[in-house]
Amino acid sequence: MSNASPDRDGGARERLQRWLPKLVLSPSCVLVLFFVYGFIAWTSYISFSDSGMMPDYTWVGLHQWSRLWTSWTWGIALHNIWVFGLLYIVSCIVLGLILAILLDQRIRAEGVLRTIYLYPMALSFIVTGTAWQWFLNPGLGLEKTMHDLGWQSFSFNWLIDSNMAIYTVVIAAVWQATGFVMAMFLAGLRGIDGEMIKAAQIDGAPAWKIYARIIIPQLRPVFLSAVVVLAHLAIKSFDLIVAMTGGGPGNATAVPATFMYSYAFSRNEMGIAAASAVFMLAVIAALIIPYLYSELREPRS
Amino acid sequence: MSAASPAARRGAATRAVLYAILLVFAVIYLMPLYVMLTTSFKTLEEIHQGNMLALPGEWTLAPWREAWGSACIGLECNGVHGYFFNSIKIVVPAVLISGLLGAFNGYVLTKWKFRGHKVVFGLILFSCFIPFQIILLPMARVLGLLHLANSTGGLVLVHIVYGIGFTTLFFRNFYASFPDELVRAAQLDGAGFFTIFFRILLPASVPIIVVTIIWQFTNVWNDFLFGVSFASGDSAPITVALNNLVNSSTGVKAYNVNMAAAMVAAVPTLIVYILAGKYFLRGLMSGSVKG
Amino acid sequence: MSFLHINNVHKRFGETHVLKGVDIAIEQGDFLVLVGPSGCGKSTLLNMIAGLDSISEGELLLDGRCINDVHPSRRDIAMVFQSYALYPSMTVAGNIGFGLEMRKVPRKERREAVDRVAKLLQIENLLDRKPGQLSGGQRQRVAMGRALVRDPQLFLFDEPLSNLDAKLRVDMRSEIKQLHQRLKTTIVYVTHDQVEAMTLATRIAVMRVGELQQLGTPHEVYDDPNNLFVAGFMGSPSMNLVKARIVEHDGVLVAQVATGDTTLALPIVRDREALSDWCGRDVILGLRPEAITDPASANHRDGNIHEAELPVDLIEPTGADLYVVTTLGDASVNARMRPGTPLRPGERTRFAFDVSRMVVFDPESERRIRDEQVVDSALEETA
Ligand SMILES: Nc1ncnc2c1ncn2[C@@H]1O[C@H](COP(=O)(O)OP(=O)(O)OP(=O)(O)O)[C@@H](O)[C@H]1O
Ligand SMILES: [Mg+2]
Repeated sequence: MSNASPDRDGGARERLQRWLPKLVLSPSCVLVLFFVYGFIAWTSYISFSDSGMMPDYTWVGLHQWSRLWTSWTWGIALHNIWVFGLLYIVSCIVLGLILAILLDQRIRAEGVLRTIYLYPMALSFIVTGTAWQWFLNPGLGLEKTMHDLGWQSFSFNWLIDSNMAIYTVVIAAVWQATGFVMAMFLAGLRGIDGEMIKAAQIDGAPAWKIYARIIIPQLRPVFLSAVVVLAHLAIKSFDLIVAMTGGGPGNATAVPATFMYSYAFSRNEMGIAAASAVFMLAVIAALIIPYLYSELREPRS
Repeated sequence: MSAASPAARRGAATRAVLYAILLVFAVIYLMPLYVMLTTSFKTLEEIHQGNMLALPGEWTLAPWREAWGSACIGLECNGVHGYFFNSIKIVVPAVLISGLLGAFNGYVLTKWKFRGHKVVFGLILFSCFIPFQIILLPMARVLGLLHLANSTGGLVLVHIVYGIGFTTLFFRNFYASFPDELVRAAQLDGAGFFTIFFRILLPASVPIIVVTIIWQFTNVWNDFLFGVSFASGDSAPITVALNNLVNSSTGVKAYNVNMAAAMVAAVPTLIVYILAGKYFLRGLMSGSVKG
Repeated sequence: MSFLHINNVHKRFGETHVLKGVDIAIEQGDFLVLVGPSGCGKSTLLNMIAGLDSISEGELLLDGRCINDVHPSRRDIAMVFQSYALYPSMTVAGNIGFGLEMRKVPRKERREAVDRVAKLLQIENLLDRKPGQLSGGQRQRVAMGRALVRDPQLFLFDEPLSNLDAKLRVDMRSEIKQLHQRLKTTIVYVTHDQVEAMTLATRIAVMRVGELQQLGTPHEVYDDPNNLFVAGFMGSPSMNLVKARIVEHDGVLVAQVATGDTTLALPIVRDREALSDWCGRDVILGLRPEAITDPASANHRDGNIHEAELPVDLIEPTGADLYVVTTLGDASVNARMRPGTPLRPGERTRFAFDVSRMVVFDPESERRIRDEQVVDSALEETA
């Protein structure tokens, strides 16, 4: 037959076609393997090495880890992230849920309000930090404004009070993320079967009871997603703290992320920095991996 | 009629309270932006004397001009404009390249599945969630070895690498909702791998392309950690410059200039958000919940 | 030699064995319909013919050529998908012409071919629309157009009408039938719909969990099922299946069915030879609802009608027919009577059994008990 040679050509092309998908995927795989997993491995190794300013591959076991764990600043950082994370997650969820429920009452200007609640999410943490630093500035900001308005006894100097400074960061962070949590809840509320609510209304249940007993329990997956996302944002929080307090006053608002950064780049203590980074990764992994696993599992039986 | 009236009045009262609460929240949310904007148009004198919440008594553009062109950041007094363009130089290639890679990945992972495709996706996806502290140290060294330290090129590379996770997630979830039969039909019609992608899938991907671009644009533009770690001096992005400007401890604090600079840094993402907020939200959601 | 020969084909997805050796052969111009319960492997088989799924074992011959390793685009096969799979960003004309474009057919020829097909399917006025702007029926036509325009050797249809509403489905069904008669193409067609299978097919293949149960003309599959599964699967309402015992009565072979107070004895006229070995043993009788009627509408000419008086449990008028439910043995039995027959539940009435249509199954193996088929022996002689 005369078409023997095109068939053979086709064979080569088909072989190429079979390999193309993997070929196209491979650059990303290589990048991710090297820059993510390779780097994780490297940093993990460094946390067990004698590295200071420069990497030094002598194995020193848990030396850096014990230095990390006995570090006073690291203790503050852990305490802060715990306080910050808890307040941040709880406040965002409570406020976000309330706003979502209020917005779900067939509000006329819903679109505009939603936009207003959500816009902080579009801002850089540095911008947010700059704005709130100014807003809460004891000499010129809110405190002075209240004094001007005649409320002489009003006092708000948390930003420079080392016991309270972390809470100012919480306020700014909550301001930034509530809108997003609200949007998640709103999407969840819109997804609930309306028939069930109608049935409950016909049964004579008051509105708050319908929310408490029927609607909110159904939002469980949204709660889960919100907690995971917020916890992950909290642990990664770095920009906002740098912009608002720079970790200060003193070390009062240090968190693991700022701790790692300063040990890595200002104090030239690579080993300790690496150990703190590995610790952060471990916490996030413990949180994210089960979540991703359950989200990606096939719903098929 | 008369019996319904008290109930109706109660209903109206409830709604009034509802709107009042929502309005109060709206005011609280707008307050920082309002203060930032008004402060940026005030003179320093007025800031020290006047009320933070008042409109400027005398509108002035001087703080904006100074922030843009002559404010001192570090030792140089050229304002933030150079850094603004640095950010653009970083954002454009980083967004385009990570988006294209993500689109290909999503296409392969949904329409050309192979053994272990889920593991590959899981590995790529996990990279969205790592705390970037874990890669700071080795990345700084690798950028040094590649002669990309303190350059916008280095930041482009960094943002591509750590953007792939999200772009792949977006496109994968989008293409997963495309029927596989589409690809099968095209194969029977004689179309190959790239023809199917460029002729059939990509033209139908406009919504997810918008989401991806907005998401990546916002993320890269707002990045601070990579910028401050890998690019100092002239190649720093706008966020780093803003922080240096605001938190430099020398001299008198020019709050109006700071706020103007903050607005310069905020304007691009705010514009994107106002123009395409709907898509922005969709991006946020698909970043957190599986589509 | 047959035109399409599916020779002992297997399919495995990892551990799961989805097709377990399917043998089907059809001639050019045949309309083969694949039916079977959901998940039995119909789509998988179709995809393997198209080349979209690989063949784990066995051989696929098209016009005498083994096409196991031929790329889908070079098999000269077109397929219409259940979801239509229209390219969303292309116009209707673009959709129909895409296959030709990929085969580098010049623009002018392409345009002509598209116009010809559009005319055939009466969608000329839709050529510039996008699929999103079409109704379900119009989309279906475009999907068919995309297949027709390439004028392939073989058409594959995977439940092409299942997304249409009932009325449109009937219309499209007869259009497909006309198209087949006009173009004389070879078609393999998957459906869930009994009526579609019966009206369209020249050959029906009944499948069950990856195995072929019967391949035959619609008439064979309906009236002469190979086993209990085929008997129960084809037809709606389905065939009545009743427990009975074969006995010899005054030299006549009968099937005895206990019906409460009396015993019904239905004379055996079909497969007598094979059933003579079954004297004294339990069997399962199969009788289509239309083989049990009221005496007046029964066909008495061949003397195969056996009448009996039975209680009426339930009546279900459908408009065109009246289904009367009674009890035989321990099973409910559907009889099809003339509409308007004056009956009330609880009454007794006379039922006429057409015993020439009765089929008998082995309750153990569920296989049909039948005489050696003439066709079979004829085949053996030629072989
Ligand atoms: N890619 C796959 N991997 C594993 N199993 C599969 C795959 N595709 C199909 N199967 C299994 O093969 C069997 C046959 O599937 P197929 O789609 O051919 O059924 P079908 O007869 O077309 O059903 P339906 O009538 O519902 O369309 C099913 O049990 C299905 O779960
Ligand atoms: Mg199927």
